[in-house]
Amino acid sequence: MPASLVVEARGVSRVFPMSAGPVTALRDVTLHVAAGEYVAIAGPSGCGKSTLLHLVGCVDTPSSGSILFEHRDVAALSEAARSRIRLTRIGFVFQRFFLLPMLTAAENIELPQAEAGVAPAARRARTRALLEYVELVDRADHLPSQLSGGEMQRIAIARALANNPVLLVADEPTGELDETTGEHIADLFDRVHADGTAILVVTHNPTLAIRASRRLAMKSGSLVA
Amino acid sequence: MTSLGLAWRTARRYRARTLLAVAGVAIIGALLFDMLLLSRGLLASFADLLDSEGFDVRVIASEGLPAMRVPIPGSADLADRIRGMPSVRDVALIRMERARVRRGADRPRVVTLVGRTQSGVGPWTVVRGASLSYGPVGSARASGERDSASLPSERGDCPVVIGRNLATAFALEPGSSLDVTATPAGIASALPSVACRVVGLVDFGFAGVDEYAVATTMDAFEAIVAEPSHGEADLILVASRAESGGGAAAARAIAGLRPDLRVYSNEDVVAQFNRNGFAYFRQISFVLSSLTMSFAFLLVATLLTVSINQRLGEIAALRALGIGRRRIAAMLLWESALLVGAGALLALPLGGVLALLLDHILRQMPGLPERLHFFVFEPRALVIHVVLFVITAAAAAAYPVWLTSRLPIAATLRREVVG
Ligand SMILES: Nc1ncnc2c1ncn2[C@@H]1O[C@H](COP(=O)(O)OP(=O)(O)OP(=O)(O)O)[C@@H](O)[C@H]1O
Ligand SMILES: [Mg+2]
Repeated sequence: MPASLVVEARGVSRVFPMSAGPVTALRDVTLHVAAGEYVAIAGPSGCGKSTLLHLVGCVDTPSSGSILFEHRDVAALSEAARSRIRLTRIGFVFQRFFLLPMLTAAENIELPQAEAGVAPAARRARTRALLEYVELVDRADHLPSQLSGGEMQRIAIARALANNPVLLVADEPTGELDETTGEHIADLFDRVHADGTAILVVTHNPTLAIRASRRLAMKSGSLVA
Repeated sequence: MTSLGLAWRTARRYRARTLLAVAGVAIIGALLFDMLLLSRGLLASFADLLDSEGFDVRVIASEGLPAMRVPIPGSADLADRIRGMPSVRDVALIRMERARVRRGADRPRVVTLVGRTQSGVGPWTVVRGASLSYGPVGSARASGERDSASLPSERGDCPVVIGRNLATAFALEPGSSLDVTATPAGIASALPSVACRVVGLVDFGFAGVDEYAVATTMDAFEAIVAEPSHGEADLILVASRAESGGGAAAARAIAGLRPDLRVYSNEDVVAQFNRNGFAYFRQISFVLSSLTMSFAFLLVATLLTVSINQRLGEIAALRALGIGRRRIAAMLLWESALLVGAGALLALPLGGVLALLLDHILRQMPGLPERLHFFVFEPRALVIHVVLFVITAAAAAAYPVWLTSRLPIAATLRREVVG
């Protein structure tokens, strides 16, 4: 296995046991994301994109097969250890932003750093740098409710980058945004990629998908193409 | 941002929820606080009343209340022996009789007439004027040594102390005079009235608000009832020395002298009161307090649970970002603590005012000693209040904490987008 792999899915399946019968969301999926790589996944609704993203992002574990994050079998780790990986090695970006509504933009970016034990002075400096990075320094003290959708997503991306992750995972990051704003987010992802962070993005948005260095298609729980 | 900081911001953001919870807990807390004041109030007030008399041991002839007036045989002799005990500071013999008091043309009033031998203390507290005085010590010592044939009319003296309510009824003050006539039960023949002089206005601890009482010297008492004591009192009151074991030790020593008598220290009386009538009070307030606390618990637990259910997406996102279960649990606990804490704090002044009001209403019951209260503040009430609310805050947070700690992150994130 090459040392530069960030995450690897080996023959992964995910079955959800339902009262009406089990639902197989993923079927024997194998995927590698190398350090600094930019991968986009597209596919029809319900084909299992989010399910795969959650496995790769260490918030879920497979029914069979294995996920190796930086060569460690995720299923063998405790929830606390997975939480630690998510905190320090992965950045999550959601379709609905999920900023904490009672915290300002800057405080939202500081939160994961505080959890990781970064000292207050270093935290403030890093937050300031990230606000500059997403070009929202002047909105530092604004609450999410005072920001536009695109601004909220930029703050959410800054929050995802707060602890210098090796992998950014994003599920439909432009799903709630108009085309122009979506393009700004795509530009921001390009910069994140250029700065050496691996990205795995699930999107229907061709403007975003086209920027990826590798594009994968999914259908009925399997990777095609 | 600490967990407390996050909780504080949350409380401020969901203002309506916060106000509802705090107001609810404040009202419930006020009831609880009052229940705590009530659960021991009467007992504490009763003990305080006993202590305020200045005596802490009482000796009676047989079981029951001193009001039954069973004379104690050989009281004078016993009083002398008690006085000689090192643990005793003061002894008073008490006799009681029904009497009628008249002043000028005013309607006469029925009173409890109390006769007391020389003593440095009550059993009353002087409000105005002086207490009963016997002249220099030695001129009239224990009742048994007095020449009981010598009538106070010969000495020309009947000093009395009277309750404040009688003073108001007759417009009496120190220096005023009034006529006292004994009206013993079962004695038909009218006794002559004796002219007495008010020396002081006092509070008789155990006299009801609507009950009149007059106390005088044993000499004057015997003159009024036209019957010498022969050294027999209805009640012997003893003041102990704290340094030699207090009332309990003195009571034990006295009981050793006369096993035929009932000897009670103040602690005994309070304990008996606690065992008998008062136990109901405690049980009722225990049941009501428990109910009250479950209301507080349900209110806060419900509000927290509802608000957590609205924030599940947020919380799942935080967990996906690597914010630990512990941090989220701590945040919820602080949220609960803030809501319950603010409410419980507001409950104290609210409960205090309510207690004053309720006490005022209850004390209008006829026949209650004027100084008896139902709601009495003791530090332990505050401690219990705080402890109960800490438990409530923790219990109310328990379900939301459990809910979030086993929240399936992936499924919740998906539901938030799909839903
Ligand atoms: N927690 C779950 N419980 C039950 N079924 C689930 C769960 N998560 C996903 N599924 C099912 O697995 C399949 C794949 O779901 P998934 O959310 O991964 O699709 P998707 O490709 O992300 O779709 P979309 O583009 O609409 O977001 C669907 O049939 C879905 O119903
Ligand atoms: Mg999806």
